[in-house]
Amino acid sequence: MNKVKGGYFHKLLKVDLSSKTWEVEPLSDDFISKYIGGRGFGAKWVWDNLKAHNFKIDPLGEENLLVMAPGPFTGLYLPSSGKTSFISISPATGIYGDSSMGGVFGVEFRQTGFDALSLKGKAPELSFLFIDDGDVSIVPAPELAGKGSLETEGLIKQRIGDLTVHVAVIGPAGENRVAFACVNTDFGRNAGRTGVGAILGSKNLKAIVVRGSKDLPVYDLKKLNLETNKAITYLRNHKFFKFWQEQGLMCVIDYANNMGILPTHNFRDGSFARVNSINGFTMESKYKIGDAACFACPMACSNICLVKEGKYAGTVVEGPEYESCAMLGSNLGIDNFAAVLRANHLCDELGMDTITVGNLIGVLIEGYETGLISLKDIEGEPLTWGDDEKVMRVIEKIARREGVGDILAGGSRKVIETWPQLSPIISQVKGLEQSAYDCRAAISMALGYATSDIGAHHTRAWTIAKELEDGRDWSLEEKAKLVIFHQTIRPLFDMFGVCRLPWIELGLNENHYAAFFSAVTGLDYSLDELMARSRDIYDLTRLINVKLGISRKDDQPPLRWFKDPVQTGPLAGKVLKREEFNTILDIYYQLRNWDAEGKPNPEIEKNFN
Amino acid sequence: MSKQLAIIPERCSGCKTCELVCSISHFNVTNPKKAAVRVMVVYPHPIVRMPIICSQCRIPKCADGCPVNAITRKNGTVEIDKDTCISCLKCLESCPFGAIFIHDDVEYPFKCDLCGGDPECVKACPKNAILFIPEHVLGQAQRINNVLSYSHMKEIEYFEKGEKKQIRYAEIGKEDV
Repeated sequence: MNKVKGGYFHKLLKVDLSSKTWEVEPLSDDFISKYIGGRGFGAKWVWDNLKAHNFKIDPLGEENLLVMAPGPFTGLYLPSSGKTSFISISPATGIYGDSSMGGVFGVEFRQTGFDALSLKGKAPELSFLFIDDGDVSIVPAPELAGKGSLETEGLIKQRIGDLTVHVAVIGPAGENRVAFACVNTDFGRNAGRTGVGAILGSKNLKAIVVRGSKDLPVYDLKKLNLETNKAITYLRNHKFFKFWQEQGLMCVIDYANNMGILPTHNFRDGSFARVNSINGFTMESKYKIGDAACFACPMACSNICLVKEGKYAGTVVEGPEYESCAMLGSNLGIDNFAAVLRANHLCDELGMDTITVGNLIGVLIEGYETGLISLKDIEGEPLTWGDDEKVMRVIEKIARREGVGDILAGGSRKVIETWPQLSPIISQVKGLEQSAYDCRAAISMALGYATSDIGAHHTRAWTIAKELEDGRDWSLEEKAKLVIFHQTIRPLFDMFGVCRLPWIELGLNENHYAAFFSAVTGLDYSLDELMARSRDIYDLTRLINVKLGISRKDDQPPLRWFKDPVQTGPLAGKVLKREEFNTILDIYYQLRNWDAEGKPNPEIEKNFN
Repeated sequence: MSKQLAIIPERCSGCKTCELVCSISHFNVTNPKKAAVRVMVVYPHPIVRMPIICSQCRIPKCADGCPVNAITRKNGTVEIDKDTCISCLKCLESCPFGAIFIHDDVEYPFKCDLCGGDPECVKACPKNAILFIPEHVLGQAQRINNVLSYSHMKEIEYFEKGEKKQIRYAEIGKEDV
């Protein structure tokens, strides 16, 4: 028996939007010590719900369960504790999906006295959910229909009469069930991937509003402070700490370009000739007006940017971070940083994932350029690389499902269904469009994308830097092991409800997190034991996906990586080899104890009943 | 020497670490809502973030607003005397900065006490947006800027160990008033 002495309220808030009722379910110590929190809780409840529906769930149906879960660390005094996750069956992929966001929303939610929220059903009219320190109400708000995310957040704050409530909100794209609609909070932070915004839209829920005042439970606050001060001292003395605050994730643009992995012209190329006009230094010198950080984060990786002149003057964005800038910049051939900011702002306001938007518009431009689709297909308006004004129009069309936008709004699965000839130039895995790292020269990264439980996103494994910097002559087994290590430790941060950047970017030792965990919960788990919990959750999400039809055939990198060599830059000529990939996939399955088709041992199902 | 808290909003990232450490050091709990400092963010564009915290005014408006004279300034800090306070919360409204706070769990309003002379928020702020400086240093940046922007200032560039540097000076005999 594991006695949990802190870190949790032991309460799940379950809301049924159809009947407008809610109940509080107690969470046992056994449950907590097995699933930890965040994505761990979410995966288990999504699994239970799938079983209750015989594994037949329409992601946009009333029966789909959406879980919102911060973790036991969220809101505490330890580095970067502002994270919260959304977990569900994704409308983009039809399989397990999750996405996390920073800001303060998860902290404020925890202060209402709950550990997690689960949503099912569908509100009879467009509404928002208001969790006010333990009081729950579903408030009809038809007047918010069609309003942008940022605008809605302001309107709700005014309506409640308190500027310090925190709001998670969807834009028009979420209301229109765009497959990659996101959830936005704090005027510009997003849970961007796997279409969690569309699920809120399908439930007629425009926003979740939280206001809490409760103390966050910590078992040994003194010990936690001690551990935290050690970690913070390390971070503040790191040689890149200040540079990190100055550029944040935008510093990756130059890094990726120099390494030859910056997506350019729909991933055809790995470096961008005009990179200087969209890199971190351009941002810093001409556009940046402030730093922004998530809760309790010393690193402040986010930037506030303002366009001061020209046709996009007045555009304000919290961001862009690397992915948004690469996908909406070099990937579309756009070398005007103000246009990148504008496109990012539009995606935020309309409520769409910048990674997928940049991907699909890139596909459209290349498809038209190479004659795979006709001028008629794109409504008589020629699309070319770098044409920022047309890109803005397509972004609007997607969110409002107009014309060609209606096809793109279905995500890459819908695009391939409509235009099968585009399939070889779409970079996606399992229906989720790839994030911004070219991996033709990094087979571990390709493996990471191919076996990620949500599709082609780097949230589960980001091994590319290590492989390109010092792992070129590693064996395939070493590379597969690195991927599994990443797929185990990175989701652990999502279970704790903290950001992984202090670890991955500034090298904060992972053992700090085991020390935090024992101070917060009183459970004496070693890092290895915590990693084992995370690994179990990976098996569980795999089990979910296998039940939904996923197998070896789906664990494949985008076709482009095998066919089209990198054109320029240090990796010119590189291409993935099919045989080598098949071998590393075999090794990966063996290391995971899955069979040759990627199925976990059926016995493990018992663990989760 | 009297010291004062000085806020530089341009530096604030909105991370609320100041709120966290304040609640931990004063109430021994993790609860930003029990902090005597609050980071406010403008909207709908989160352009400016600013920690709001008591200035320890020499002529405190909160004391003027207090009907029972519970608020006085002693040794450089403005204090609320709990024995006298009736918790009517008039001070929350009369403070021109909104730097006095209340919480459901706490009987009396609370405000910054400078942690007895070594403020935790100053030490914890990762952006150095909250400073604790001698009062006479306040305004020094403006004073020196005023000197440097004197209209007769001239500038020359020179190289020292290969590094480009500048010197500013004003020429004698060219004064016209």
